[in-house]
Amino acid sequence: MENLVIKSEKLPEMINKLIKDYLVFAPIEENEYSTFKQINKAEEMSLEFLLPRVPTKALFFEQTETLFKFTPGRKGDIKPIEFPDKERVIIGIRPCDARSFTMLDPVFQGDFKDPLYNSKRKNAILIGLSCNKPEINCFCTSFDDSPASSKNVDILLTDINEKYFVEIVTEKGEKLISKIKTFFESASKEDEEARNKVEEQAIKSITRKMDLDGIVLKLDEMFDHELWYNTAMKCIGCGICTYLCPTCHCFDMQDESTLDEGARIRVWDSCMFPEYTNHASGHNPRPARMNRVRNRVYHKFSYFPKNSNVTACTGCGRCIDYCPVNIDIIDVIAKVGET
Amino acid sequence: MVDQKLLVEEAKKIIAQEDVKYVIGYKKGTYGFTISPSYAYTPEYAEKFIFNPLCAKNLASYPILEEKLPLGRDEEEDIRKIGIVAKGCDARSLIQVIQEKGLKRERVVIIGIPCTGVIDPKKIKNMFPNAKGETDVVEDGDNYQIKINGETNEVPKAELLSDVCRSCESPNPPIYDVLIGEEVEPPEMEEYKNLKELEEQSIEDKWAYWEKHFERCIRCYACREACPLCYCKECMVDLLSPQWVRRSVNISENTAWNIMRAYHLAGRCVGCGECERACPVNIPLMELNKKLAKDVKELFDYTSGMDLEEKPLFGTFNPDDPEEFIL
Repeated sequence: MENLVIKSEKLPEMINKLIKDYLVFAPIEENEYSTFKQINKAEEMSLEFLLPRVPTKALFFEQTETLFKFTPGRKGDIKPIEFPDKERVIIGIRPCDARSFTMLDPVFQGDFKDPLYNSKRKNAILIGLSCNKPEINCFCTSFDDSPASSKNVDILLTDINEKYFVEIVTEKGEKLISKIKTFFESASKEDEEARNKVEEQAIKSITRKMDLDGIVLKLDEMFDHELWYNTAMKCIGCGICTYLCPTCHCFDMQDESTLDEGARIRVWDSCMFPEYTNHASGHNPRPARMNRVRNRVYHKFSYFPKNSNVTACTGCGRCIDYCPVNIDIIDVIAKVGET
Repeated sequence: MVDQKLLVEEAKKIIAQEDVKYVIGYKKGTYGFTISPSYAYTPEYAEKFIFNPLCAKNLASYPILEEKLPLGRDEEEDIRKIGIVAKGCDARSLIQVIQEKGLKRERVVIIGIPCTGVIDPKKIKNMFPNAKGETDVVEDGDNYQIKINGETNEVPKAELLSDVCRSCESPNPPIYDVLIGEEVEPPEMEEYKNLKELEEQSIEDKWAYWEKHFERCIRCYACREACPLCYCKECMVDLLSPQWVRRSVNISENTAWNIMRAYHLAGRCVGCGECERACPVNIPLMELNKKLAKDVKELFDYTSGMDLEEKPLFGTFNPDDPEEFIL
C-alpha cells in the first residue's frame, strides 16, 4: 500500500473529522501523566507522554464492566446489556500496547468468545504511534518488536518532524484513510528515510534487554528456588505490576445491588492479592507472597508461552517503572537465566 | 551526610548477633536513581548497604508484612529479631505500631539514621528521565550533586526534596539501638504544601478537587501496602460480608476507600509520605493525612509516634477532650 504523510498541524483537524463519525479514544493528560479516554475534540489529546500510565488494554477489557443487570428479589428478572457496536478509533496507541492484543486475544477469543471484549475489539481501528524517544525501562526490542512496529495496528503514524509518516497496514486502515483522504499527501523517498531514521535511533536508544533464551526450560527446573523467596521478601503485595500490565487479564465477578436494582459486574483482579486464590473453605493455595510473586513470573514466562506460544510481556517497562520496591522483571529473568 | 562505612559496619555487627534473623536496609536499585530495599542475612550481604538522599522508602512496613509459609512437622517458627535501617519518620512509624501492640519493641533492632530529608523519586525521575549508567547523589549543603555517568549536575535541594520532609517533626529517630553519626539540627518546620489553600476552599471546591483525584484511583492498594500503619490482618476493603466498599472502581467507591483509609490513619499517620510515593496515579494522599494530623494536633495536642510510653490517641480519653462533634 502506498505510504502517506500528514502535516502535524493538520492532525487535529483530521481527528475532529473522525470524531464526527466514530468514537475516538486518545491519550489525555491527567495529573502529570496520560491515560486513554474518549475525546470529543482533538485539543483534548496529549501526545506529550510516551506511554499512557494505564495500558490501552483498559479500553477493551475495562477495569469495571457490567455483564448484565437484574432486579433483586424473588421475582427478579435479568436484563441483558447492549454491547457497544459503534466503530471506535484508537489513536496514539504505542507498538508495545498494540502487541498486547496478541496475548489478550487468545484469552478472550479462545474457547469462550467474550462478547464484551470482542464487540470492542471487532469495532476498533488502531492508529498506532511510533516511539521517537523510548524511555529508560523500554525493552520491546527483546521480543523481536520495534518502537516503530506496524505489526499489530491498522495504521501507523511516525513523527518525522512537522509531519507524520503514515503507513496503512490493514484493509480496515485503508477504509478509514479513504474517508479522510484529503488530509494526506503521498510520501516522498526523503520522508521514508526520515521514518527509518526515527526507528533506527529509537532502537539504538533502548539499552535494556531481557534475554529469554531457554527461560521456559529453566523455569521448569526452579519452582522451589530461593530466588522466589528473596524477590518476595521485598514485595509489598500491591497490585501495581498487574494493573499496569498490558497483558494481565484476571478479573473477579460480583453482584452489586441496591434495593431495587442490581448488576453483575466484572472488575480487574490481581494475583498479587492474597484474596485472589482464597478458597471459600479458608484454605489458600498461595498462602505467602512468595507463592504469588512466583506465580506472576511463571504465568508470563512459562505457562503463557506453553499455552499460547507467546511470552506474556510486551517490554513496556511499566511494572519496573512503578514498582515501589524496585522488583525489576528484567533483573528477575536475568537471575533465572543465571541459575 | 551519613557515613556509609559506619552504616555497613554497624549492620554487620547486628547481623552477626545470634538472635538476629536479618537486617533490612537499602541498596542501589537496578536502573537510574532507584533504590531497592535489601535484606542482609549474613554480614557479607550488608556490604551492599548504602544510605543517601534517595533512600526515601520507609522500611518499617517489612517486619509486619513478613509472611510465613505454613510450618512443616517438627519445624519451629523463627522468632529471631529483625534489624532495620530507620530514618526519623520510619522510627516514628515503628513507635506507633509498637504503641498499638502491632509489634514488640524487642523484635526489632533499629539502626537509626539522622535524616536531612529525602529526594522525591517522582521529582528526580521527571528532572532526569534518562539517567542511564552510573548514578549517584551526594548532599552538599543546600544542593544535591546529581552524578550521571561521571557528569555532575548541581540542583538546589528545594527542587527535589520530598514535600513531606519540609514539614518533618522529627528528622532524628526518637528511638534506636545504634545511631549512625550525630543527630542533626531539626530544620524549620513549614506547614504542608497547599494545606492552607485547601482549607480555605468552599465545600463544593473541595469536593470537586478530591473527586478529580479519586476518580483516577485504580484501587491497586499500593497506598495501603506501602503504609507501615496499614497492618490490619483483614482490611475493611477486602471484606465481602459485610461489604463496606464495593469492588466496582468508580468515583463513589474510590472515594469511600480513600476517605476511609485516611480516617483510619487519623492520629496514627506519622507523615512519612510512603502512600503518596507508591501511588501510580499521583493522588496527593498526603494532603488528606496532613490535614488530619493537623486537626489531631489542634484538637488533642497529640503527635503520633513520638514516644514509646505514650498511648495511641484513640486509646485514651480525657474529660476535657473537645466534643463539639457529638450531637
